[in-house]
Amino acid sequence: MDFNLGREHELLRDMVKEFADNELAPRALELDNKGEFFWEQVKRSGQLGLIGVINSKEYGGTAMGHLARMILIEEISRVYPPLGFFHQTGNLLMYAIETFGSEEQKKEYLPALCKGAKVSALALTEATGGSDPANMQTQAILEGNDYVVNGRKSWITAVDPADVVGFVAKTGDKFSAFIVEKGTHGFEVTRREETIGLRSLPVNEFALINCRLTKENLIGEEGRGLASALTTIATIGRTGAAGVGLGIARGCYEIALKFAKERVLYGKPIAALQAIQFTLADMNVKIEAAKWLCYSTAWQLDQGKTSRDLAVDIARCKLYAVDVANRCAHKAVDIMGAYGLSPEYRVIGLLRDALELGVAAGSQEVMKVTIGATITR
Amino acid sequence: MSDSGEIWVIGEQRLGRLEEVSLELLSKGTALSQRIGVALSAVLLGDEVEKIARELVFHGAEKVYLLEDARLRYYQSEAYARLLAGVIEEHEPQVVLIGATEIGKELAPKVAAKLKTGLTAHCIDLYVGEVDDAPHIIYVVPGWGGNLVMHIICPQKRPQMATVKPGVFSKAVKDENRKGKIIRVKPDVRDEDFRRIETVEVVEESPKGKSLELADVVVCGGWGMNALGGFSKIQELADILGGAVAGTRPAMDKGWVKEARMIGQSGKTVSPGLFVSLGASGAMHYTTGFMGSKVVLAVDQNPQAPIFQMADIGVVGDLCEVLPCLIEELKKYRMPRKS
Amino acid sequence: MGLEILVCIKQVPHPDHFSEIQVDAGKGRVIGEGIPVIMNPLDRHALEEALRNKERFSGRITVIRMGRPRVQKAVEEALAMGADRAVLLYDTAFARPDTLATAFTLFYAIQRLGKFDLIYCGNETVDSGTAQVGPMLAELLDIPQVSSVQEVSFIDEKSLEVRRALEHGYIKVRLKLPALLSVTRDINTPRLPTVQGIMEVAQKELIIWNAKDIQAPPESVGLKGSSIYAASVHEYKTGRCREIMQGSTEEKVRRAVARLKELGAI
Repeated sequence: MDFNLGREHELLRDMVKEFADNELAPRALELDNKGEFFWEQVKRSGQLGLIGVINSKEYGGTAMGHLARMILIEEISRVYPPLGFFHQTGNLLMYAIETFGSEEQKKEYLPALCKGAKVSALALTEATGGSDPANMQTQAILEGNDYVVNGRKSWITAVDPADVVGFVAKTGDKFSAFIVEKGTHGFEVTRREETIGLRSLPVNEFALINCRLTKENLIGEEGRGLASALTTIATIGRTGAAGVGLGIARGCYEIALKFAKERVLYGKPIAALQAIQFTLADMNVKIEAAKWLCYSTAWQLDQGKTSRDLAVDIARCKLYAVDVANRCAHKAVDIMGAYGLSPEYRVIGLLRDALELGVAAGSQEVMKVTIGATITR
Repeated sequence: MSDSGEIWVIGEQRLGRLEEVSLELLSKGTALSQRIGVALSAVLLGDEVEKIARELVFHGAEKVYLLEDARLRYYQSEAYARLLAGVIEEHEPQVVLIGATEIGKELAPKVAAKLKTGLTAHCIDLYVGEVDDAPHIIYVVPGWGGNLVMHIICPQKRPQMATVKPGVFSKAVKDENRKGKIIRVKPDVRDEDFRRIETVEVVEESPKGKSLELADVVVCGGWGMNALGGFSKIQELADILGGAVAGTRPAMDKGWVKEARMIGQSGKTVSPGLFVSLGASGAMHYTTGFMGSKVVLAVDQNPQAPIFQMADIGVVGDLCEVLPCLIEELKKYRMPRKS
Repeated sequence: MGLEILVCIKQVPHPDHFSEIQVDAGKGRVIGEGIPVIMNPLDRHALEEALRNKERFSGRITVIRMGRPRVQKAVEEALAMGADRAVLLYDTAFARPDTLATAFTLFYAIQRLGKFDLIYCGNETVDSGTAQVGPMLAELLDIPQVSSVQEVSFIDEKSLEVRRALEHGYIKVRLKLPALLSVTRDINTPRLPTVQGIMEVAQKELIIWNAKDIQAPPESVGLKGSSIYAASVHEYKTGRCREIMQGSTEEKVRRAVARLKELGAI
């Protein structure tokens, strides 16, 4: 087995690392404090070709694949997780349109989304629970040639800046997926939720009030929407969240390690103390394990396996990477003492961001449900 | 192979002003010429620079080959390189030393390539020594990782050429009673020299603040100054000591000093009477920049920092505490400012 | 018509890892294996300038490197940034050259490659830092050259005006093409390769030549062609006192100042 990443993936990692260190790191704290959507960074990411890595060249993508996506999200998140998380959510509708959408939809939306000129969101969650999508209340009733949609979606990342939003609604006793564009009558982004982490990625509620959409707004066939959405969330959302986790874990580890080597107590760097070494060793092992769990899953997706085949792998890597991220961030804060609690030293910010990963693309418990149910079948 | 040839120093003047490095090279040239027993000469190109030629004599040159022409007033790369190579070929010195100034760094390799000879860059010392039981001029060049230096030799090709950074050697002593010959060489300047390349404008500003290379005290700050938010205390300390401010590469990257004040392998080399290093851990490519200083004082918070191997006096501690304390203590001494 | 541009690049150890480089004192050589490598930073600026010239005037960019084919990071990065093809010069006969021998090796390769309008080099490398190869190569090619270039302007397609740095100022020089320019970091901000650029690397031409391919006379290249070499490597006896002051902060500082006075430093 060849565990070398190969030339292209190494070049990609180097490029994203440099982008993150030179262009994101100096602004990370400022952007976090501002708490507003980072259009400049998104456009730059698009310019570098990073947003459309799972879309085909025909529609403005670069088709470099899932492993490439995992690596770039990791490298970005090491320094500035909100942008990494943007890739997680922003790629959802891009994948859904490319996989299930019509030719017109692909041509209409994908090029601008790949460039970062426009952004998107995908909405499933409602007050009835994101973990229980089959009980959603949002309804789309066919009236002649139009669907009249009524409902509310909640906790949707980036729906406020989004130019185009995908959502799932009940059509009869089945579910369908729709696209709605910003400015459409009856589509209204409402209150913003305050979040503890990923603060520059707004999370909002939105309402559909007698919103009229045509058959052209359907993504794929009527009645197949939930299946398409869940496939999308598994393939893109969970792997993306895993990538953000990997990045946060490594970012915290590297900062804590550097600190430990420089911080002098009792006449020598604290890295000489066994207690510190043990904590760092623990982080080191977990990060390496998480990395291979995630990379192998992404690699298999690139080999053509479906998210159905890889249901356990995908759930596993999201579950583990997110746990490792939270643990490493917390331990990094511990190692760094008072500096660990100071925003300037970044680990406390990375911990806050890590907390948001638990419920992203399906909660940690849902991951265990997927794994447990599958292995005991 | 002629080892009876002279030792030559290529003098550099700009706009009628002699570069200090030429005088530094003359001091080393003098030592070399006395050791080997051959004459020390200098070469000078320019226009109306006889006064400078005399300065070279006062600082040790027994002969100065003076090439003057109105068209050589400013550095002209093709003309200077061709004429210099020509006068070297004609007189066959065994050693040619050139200051590694911006111009010297460009001119020396051009001349070396014309003569198809070896050029050793950035020596920190040169002396006559033995290699394999034969006498050679040994050029000492800073090497890699740790306190290593390479001893370079040029066994066959002549002349042996070397560049030396300004500030490495000390200036030769001036003696206005010294007698030397100024040999006017009518340079064969051709139109062809300016057909493909021509200097059209030279602009030199006088440096702001105390000149680094001339300062007797240099106060250099590194990344550790971050704890104090920057260089204001460094300037304060430099003012008390009558010294110049400098920085390491991380300090330059942070914007606390300009590139012209960066100490290190790819920056400036200084050899002041006192070098003070504050908050720099002591990576090799930094320490080569001040190796020649007479006395080194280092302050850093990490007792294991390599800088303490390169210092005479070391103070381990938090810069936030040490620096203000040091400033107060030095104020007490109230020493006269050294020029 | 377009410009035929050559960019000389060197693959060097990553400066952050310099302290890991070990020295073989007996052989006077460094052991760099296993250390992460990068394209020499100034060479990126050189390539960036070439890319901008190509965008303006069209043409082709060739990058050339001397070294071993096992790790080709620098070349790959150059191709990903937008260079059109790469030439690698590899032969044991090229090994351990001084700067003139390096210049000669490049010279013979250029004889085989053909005519170039412009050759760009980084002013110096982060490892040896001599800044000599550019001027020497230009001399061998008999073309005009300027070092420490901070700015390049095209007067017309055949001539340039460049600004080159002085310690405290600059010189403006006019040059006719073909010419060689050694650039500093002030000249531009190098671009990052894009994903598209990275994926195009596989399609680009990589030429590998040995001494025979470029008809390089053995006495002009490598160690044989070198006029200077390191006879030995020594520990530099700094002769420093290495006295660490003891006591409280106040005591340490007081002692340090007293010692400085004793040493005549203040």
